Amino acid sequence: MHSIFSRINNISAFLSSCTMALLACVALSSFLFTADPKGTLSISPVKVFPSKTNRYPRRIQEMGFVNFNISADLTPLFHWNTKQLFLYLEAEYQNAQGVNNTVVIWDRIVRRPEDAVINFVGKNKYAFREISSSFKKVPSSYYSLKYNVMPHVGVLTYGEAARTIEPVDFVWEEHV
Amino acid sequence: MTDFAGQKLVDDIVRIWLMATTAISFIAGFALQSLFVTFSILGLSTVALLVLVVPPWPMFNRHPVKWLPVVNASSDTKKSK
Repeated sequence: MHSIFSRINNISAFLSSCTMALLACVALSSFLFTADPKGTLSISPVKVFPSKTNRYPRRIQEMGFVNFNISADLTPLFHWNTKQLFLYLEAEYQNAQGVNNTVVIWDRIVRRPEDAVINFVGKNKYAFREISSSFKKVPSSYYSLKYNVMPHVGVLTYGEAARTIEPVDFVWEEHV
Repeated sequence: MTDFAGQKLVDDIVRIWLMATTAISFIAGFALQSLFVTFSILGLSTVALLVLVVPPWPMFNRHPVKWLPVVNASSDTKKSK
């Protein structure tokens, strides 16, 4: 502390310790916010069309088309440590082998609390296909709207905003 | 110049100031729900601390070391012989 340089060194060393403690407190403070907003999700029966596959020339694969309606107010998830939200709609079904599959068919990034009131009517953004190329042996599917809260500092947290209570049936369309 | 008492004073000021502003910035940011408030308080107070402590202000040199008077070495050695 006898010279200018040693004083700067002392301040910067202790400032880094204080900053680490502050960041740890900020990360821990996220656990005090336990908002669990719920919305509604409605799905019309999923239309299934046969289509050509990209990879194999003469193979036919079934594509599911999901029309859905989401309304949810997710503004309570925004607090001082929320950077953005990742919202995604997941299809859940059990295939013929009894394996539980989940497929993300739609997603959205919400960066501002003003955009967190979700009223969306639309169809799936990503292809909904079964690996066995057919949904014939799948009795029905369930859908859930999930979110992932991304903080500025700290751990990612996951939650579920809406879920279909009744199973949604598949409807086969033979021609387009 | 900074004397030994001034070095102790600088050390105390730095420790108390940084701990206090860290606590204040957390509480203010939490109350206003803004990380921008937290880090602007911490940053501005650190700049103020650097201005207060880094230059060798006269207040850190109020207890200069008092050396013993210079003893005339050549006359002493002649007397002892």
